[in-house]
Amino acid sequence: MKRLAIVVAAALLALSGAAWAQTLVYGESGLPVSLDLPQDGNSLTVQYQIAEPLVGFQPGSSELRPLLATSWEANADATQWTFHLREGVTFHDGTPFNAEAVKFNFDRWNHRDNPYAFPDQKNFAAWTYIFAAFYGEEGYLLEKVEALDDTTVRFDLTSPVGFFPALVASSYFGIQSPAAVKAAGVDYGTPGVGAVGTGPFKFQEWVQGDHVTVVRNDAYWGDKAKVERIVFRGIESPATRLAELEAGTLDIAVNLSPDDLQAVESNSDLRRATAEANLSIGYIGFHQANKPFDDLRVRQAVAYAIDQKAIVDAFWSGLGTPAAEFIPPGLIGRAGYDIYPYDPEKAKQLLADAGFPNGFQTEFWYMPVSRPYFPSPKDIAEAVAGYLSEVGIQAELRTEDWGIYLTEYDEGKFPMFMLGWNADYADPNNFIYTFFSPTEIKNGFGWADANADEVVKLLGDARKASSETERVTYYEQADKIIYDQVPAMPVVYPTTLHATRTNIDGFLPNPLGVTSVQLNEVTKN
Amino acid sequence: MFAYFVRRLLGLLPVLFGVSLLIFTIPRVIGSDPARIMLGERASPESYQRLRTELGLDTPYFLNLKEARTRGIAGLFDAQYPTFVAHAVQGDLGKSIFSRIPVRDSLAHFFPATIELTLVAMFFAVVFGVPLGIVAALNRGTLVDTGFMFLALAGVSFPVFWLGIIMIYLFAVFLGWLPPSGRISPTLIFHSTTGFYLLDAIVQGRWGVLWNLLRHLVMPGIALGTIPLAIIVRMTRSSMLEVLGQDYIRTARAKGVERRAVINKHALRNALLPVITVIGLSFGQLLSGAILTETVFAWPGIGRFVYDAISSRDYPIIQGGVLFIAIMFVLVNMLVDLSYAFIDPRIQYT
Repeated sequence: MKRLAIVVAAALLALSGAAWAQTLVYGESGLPVSLDLPQDGNSLTVQYQIAEPLVGFQPGSSELRPLLATSWEANADATQWTFHLREGVTFHDGTPFNAEAVKFNFDRWNHRDNPYAFPDQKNFAAWTYIFAAFYGEEGYLLEKVEALDDTTVRFDLTSPVGFFPALVASSYFGIQSPAAVKAAGVDYGTPGVGAVGTGPFKFQEWVQGDHVTVVRNDAYWGDKAKVERIVFRGIESPATRLAELEAGTLDIAVNLSPDDLQAVESNSDLRRATAEANLSIGYIGFHQANKPFDDLRVRQAVAYAIDQKAIVDAFWSGLGTPAAEFIPPGLIGRAGYDIYPYDPEKAKQLLADAGFPNGFQTEFWYMPVSRPYFPSPKDIAEAVAGYLSEVGIQAELRTEDWGIYLTEYDEGKFPMFMLGWNADYADPNNFIYTFFSPTEIKNGFGWADANADEVVKLLGDARKASSETERVTYYEQADKIIYDQVPAMPVVYPTTLHATRTNIDGFLPNPLGVTSVQLNEVTKN
Repeated sequence: MFAYFVRRLLGLLPVLFGVSLLIFTIPRVIGSDPARIMLGERASPESYQRLRTELGLDTPYFLNLKEARTRGIAGLFDAQYPTFVAHAVQGDLGKSIFSRIPVRDSLAHFFPATIELTLVAMFFAVVFGVPLGIVAALNRGTLVDTGFMFLALAGVSFPVFWLGIIMIYLFAVFLGWLPPSGRISPTLIFHSTTGFYLLDAIVQGRWGVLWNLLRHLVMPGIALGTIPLAIIVRMTRSSMLEVLGQDYIRTARAKGVERRAVINKHALRNALLPVITVIGLSFGQLLSGAILTETVFAWPGIGRFVYDAISSRDYPIIQGGVLFIAIMFVLVNMLVDLSYAFIDPRIQYT
């Protein structure tokens, strides 16, 4: 009788093509590349459900909240950070989460000679995004991680960093089970193995090119997930992602094109799910080794010549704000300037003063790839070139394969170019220092005068500042110099469009995007 | 015949050598590299250099003279290309630089999806293309002919991307008849053992899954099939017209052979040779992946897999993937050549 029941059940399963109940289907632009310190958004979104960092974010905000660490404090000069860990947490494989596990993860990432770093197989490039360099290399930040006791871990830094918890909160640094890493070795984080963390969802399967499934972790220390499982699908075309959402075959679609805002808002089955503001910026840079951009008046002329507001309205469909500063809204250190107004007459005057009454010819390089900060680079470049030609600047539009573009940008080959940045962590340092560090100010903008030196000095001081008030003053001073000297023209603070079906609640992208959003609060009705 | 087959197979070797050389060289000479892409918008020169070293990108391409001085001949070949070839002949295509997934595993995963889609597209193209071509030829100069030819022209001219999105909106979003994209509904529980989902569903007797798979194949299959369809219609028509003008057809008619028999037995069979060539070539082309169709319909095929690798300069995938595609393309062409002998008894391979 029992056997019959099984047979009948199996037959029914076969006939119906049985489906999972309470499955959330999440559409990204691609499947993960890796779940072991990945560097792309698609991977990070999945990893974040499985492996949590020590520090997380308040829902919908970039404000930090305890995750695997319950509290943290620094020594007086912010070179030593102590984290107190949550007790009684276990990894999905049943092994305990403790200070040793934290040390294992950070040592593995920081030391290229760690037995589990596999330097010839895994590059851990994301580590250098946040911690500047690997242990022992020029400019490395993390000196040592020490497990003081089972639930206390201390990080010793090579220089003071007042915002260290923000670095640790970066979605790259999900804590993985040491036992699982040791068992899987070099294959850890690949489709056959997946990843093992402490998060609200456990890895279930990863079918290359098709989907990744995670299931609810019923032993989760925090709020247990409301849905039973999440299937992540990689759908490259944003138009198809939207169509899937409209057809109801996706519950959540992220990173839609700004043009689709209208389609989302006019559809009663769909709901827009965007953060208040994204920590992201798109800008037009000048490289001062290319004449005549070494002349401040020329750079100012460009800023006055372009109707920034019109461009942002046209290409971001209400999902962008014209940008005046290199620190986006929502972060400290902003001085609160207005954008350079659209004033072609003033632009012409400045050009004439600089010795170009009839303008000049130059190259304007636009990115070959779409990024949230420039969703349609070519169209935007054409619009910009149109404004420039009205004041006599004949900008020839150029582009190049993305890898070559980045290389040639580094080499300072572009007189004028488009580029941007999406935050890795929520701190002004991740913006202003990213653009104006001693290397970047030289490579990126070819900016080398007393003003540039002053900016470098102020930003260095800000990194070391022990109080936030002190940091803010440094940032504001640097911000003013940058605003006046126009090494680059900030164009937009974009907001990325995500959408859900209306029966989905609790999906709250934060200003860093969707890569650091835990989906345990999401419900499907 | 067998000797011919062996000769053709041997002829593959120089082709593959040439392809391997090209596909090794081209991505490297056009500039940029995976380390650059991996580090993204901002990278310090130091971390870029280190990553290049770790990824082995700074070892010499063809011959390692420096190593040769200390290690002799073994050192000389400690370079990127010899290593790639030495591994490839053993069937090891290396691992993706980004994901560390063995290229061979990925190909084994993506290729069956491409084959399934190609078969459906070609099935659609042949089943509609040949009859439409015949009808057009038989009604030469009439409205039917003009209409079909116009449609065929439209078929080759429609951008797949546009056609795909239109189809998705019509059949998936508005009518709700078909799933918008993908290969299988993500909420279905189904484990494929061979990578060929259709086959596995049949073997496992999962009829619900089979139905689901077929529904997913309809739109990408048609979208991908439109261009071969258009080519096949035109080729069948012109080939039929040529044959219908031959003396032996007139003779057959004069003898009083029934019209249907003249067309089917005397004309069609002779007209098919060029059509089969076209079908074979299209098949080979589709097998190498249809990047746009795969992108619009989120189809996990080989074209998009290799295309993505090209933009990120994932050398092992580019090398392994293109080499594999080249082998498939050459094999398909060989089979087409061999099939001539079966269709046309005058052709013999010795």
